[in-house]
Amino acid sequence: MQDVVNQVINTTFGWNWPSWAIALIGYLIVAVILFAIAPFQMLFLTLYERRAIARMQDRVGPNRVGPEGIFQPLADGVKIFTKEDIVPDAADHWVHFIAPCVVVAPTMFMFVVLPWGPGMVPVDLNIGLLFFFAISSVSAVGLLMAGWASSNKFALIGAMRAVAQMVSYEIPAVISLLALVLITGSLSIVDMISYQGGLFISSRDVASVPDWGLGWFIFTPVGFLAFVAFFIAALAEGERTPFDIPEADSEIVAGYMTEYSGMKFGLFYLAQYVLNFLLCAITSVIFFGGWQGPGVGWLYAQAITPVNPQGGWVFNVLAGVLGVVYFLSKTYFFFFVMVWIRGAFARLRIDQLMDFGWKFLIPLTLVNVISAAVWVALTKWGAADGLAFVEGWSPLVRWAVAFVVTLAMNLGAYLYLARIFAHSQAERERLDDEVLESLINVV
Amino acid sequence: MDIPRGNIIVMDRRRGKLRVGQGLIQGLKVVWDHWAGSFHKNENFSQIHGTFTVEYPDERLPLPQTYRNMPVLLYDDESGHELCTGCYQCQRICPPQVIHITQAKDPVTGKMVPAATEFIIEYDACMSCGFCAEVCPFDSIKMDHVYELSTADRVSLTMRKAQLNRPISYYASIAPDLWAEVQAGAMKKLQGSIKRRPDVIGLAAVLTEKIKARRLELAAAAAAAPAAAAPAPAAPAAPAAKLTPEEKAAKLAAMKATNANKGVAAPPAKAPVELSPADAKAAKLAAIKAANAAKQAGAAAPPAEVPAELPPTDAKAAKLAAIKAANAAKKAAEQGNSE
Ligand code: SF4
Ligand code: SF4
Repeated sequence: MQDVVNQVINTTFGWNWPSWAIALIGYLIVAVILFAIAPFQMLFLTLYERRAIARMQDRVGPNRVGPEGIFQPLADGVKIFTKEDIVPDAADHWVHFIAPCVVVAPTMFMFVVLPWGPGMVPVDLNIGLLFFFAISSVSAVGLLMAGWASSNKFALIGAMRAVAQMVSYEIPAVISLLALVLITGSLSIVDMISYQGGLFISSRDVASVPDWGLGWFIFTPVGFLAFVAFFIAALAEGERTPFDIPEADSEIVAGYMTEYSGMKFGLFYLAQYVLNFLLCAITSVIFFGGWQGPGVGWLYAQAITPVNPQGGWVFNVLAGVLGVVYFLSKTYFFFFVMVWIRGAFARLRIDQLMDFGWKFLIPLTLVNVISAAVWVALTKWGAADGLAFVEGWSPLVRWAVAFVVTLAMNLGAYLYLARIFAHSQAERERLDDEVLESLINVV
Repeated sequence: MDIPRGNIIVMDRRRGKLRVGQGLIQGLKVVWDHWAGSFHKNENFSQIHGTFTVEYPDERLPLPQTYRNMPVLLYDDESGHELCTGCYQCQRICPPQVIHITQAKDPVTGKMVPAATEFIIEYDACMSCGFCAEVCPFDSIKMDHVYELSTADRVSLTMRKAQLNRPISYYASIAPDLWAEVQAGAMKKLQGSIKRRPDVIGLAAVLTEKIKARRLELAAAAAAAPAAAAPAPAAPAAPAAKLTPEEKAAKLAAMKATNANKGVAAPPAKAPVELSPADAKAAKLAAIKAANAAKQAGAAAPPAEVPAELPPTDAKAAKLAAIKAANAAKKAAEQGNSE
């Protein structure tokens, strides 16, 4: 963005503004765009979710306001803006007031490192992934504030659950990403995307593979397991069914949102949907190549870039549009999967959630990190690292061997852990029954 | 109307041995099938896929004939007469007591007439039980199929007779079988009621043309009244110990007729003085005959002779005739006065 602003102001108009002004204007424009996009994503996703879940339930969904109901979210927005804002007498007013902002702000920050298309990232932080997940945990503070300040038992229970869930699911999410960080050797999200060029096999692993933009991590055993674990953890972080325990409406009214009304409630909703969007986006970016797809890489190679200043600006636009289309269609597909899961599964109990996270997901992702290490060793190491025997293999063979070995490791780990987990659950149920029996048979 | 029942739908539950994680995937499959199937409409309930939604304001389900929402009052399309006789059966049975009826009275005699002058149903409190329609011996009150009744205030749900009136043809269109069952009896009873309704009583108030036509008919009959009034003066002359209502009516008619005669200065008819009170009925009959004759011959025709020895016939008919004569006389008098 800054180079474009620089081009316009200093070259076209010849005003010779200082570079800090250029930077300021560039960032302001980007910030405005992002702040406009985020609420619209939320508006769109609410409609999308309602229409999709309706179809899964053999209904039609909201389709009266505007063609196919596209103005329904606006109508809802107007409604929520005109609602009275009620603060309970017993509430801690300031904390109650600040909590929604604390929940919304991190979701906006997370857009900073999200790449939309080739060269279209607000800031390419070299620790982008770390930033993304570090910031996302801040909203847990806001949730606890909301629950605490409401001085309502349901709100507090909801907040406690939310924090417990977020903290325990952050671990498998981050560990599963750690496996991919091992493979790419970078924490930058832009790097992770550029790693995923190729055709089923990343061209960085095997240089001879044509770059069709399809070398996604999902096609490797490590990436696949990481994807499954990450997506489950993302469901828990985004408080989606079957992990919508913090706001389980049939148990604790609306959890930490119970005492909120009007636009403050709307802010929680906004934060939630924006977070869901971001989680879907990061899933598509890290496991499905983000904007990578057939054609984008080729178009971008012709465009004006720091590497290639002689390119045509038409290619910039084309590559950008195609990249954003790929990226958004992947993102919305994952949101559809979230809705699909919501349509299919019932809510977990809090103890089941904790069991699943700590006893199943975390061991599985740990095994996956080891698989990733094996993958890196088999595809990248040589004699210098003590793996002289792989030196003689061609890159494709090395890749194939790594594939088979990690697949075997992950599959074995999954089956083994699933058996242990099922066994422990059965045991637990048996104990529960015994306790129940002893309680019933008290004479 | 038979509703098919006992259709057994066998659902494929995809049972079988499940390994770890398979159950979850099967659950997703079920939801996917529903999602994919929801792009066509489910027309028939033997299927489990497809959208069931009826998009209400645009589409409506056909209502069964026996559907009942709010009661309405029927009137006959041809004669315009309401079927209701004001018998109060519905008012009595209505559990929330929301029906209020005013019985029609003969303006001349003050006697009950089988019709209702006002009929109010408070729709806001009606619970659509259908008891009123069930109990009505004249098949006058029937349950309507209209269900879009929302109003801005409660008062506009208090329905008066004019708002409740519906032609029989309307009811026959929404519930043809139900109407066919009761049609013959209802129409027969209606004919009976019509015979006993003087003036425009019992005509649906919404049918202004029908009422106008009826009034014209009555006015035409009234034109013959001067002649018809002829035998009337005899009545007061008679030494009546106690007057039956009919006799009173006859007397009244006679008085009116004389007044009318004075007004138009018509030549007084010869009165058969030898009439006894017992023969009052006969006198009335004679009056009718006279009226009819006058009608046929025109207003200017000389009054017909009154045969005193007429056989006594139906008292009611006589009474009716007397009333008609009275009304006609009144009309004539009015016309005379205005001239
Ligand atoms: S339907 Fe029932 S409640 Fe309504 S007016 Fe008739 S008897 Fe009364
Ligand atoms: S509607 Fe039927 S039951 Fe009610 S007063 Fe009229 S005739 Fe009687």
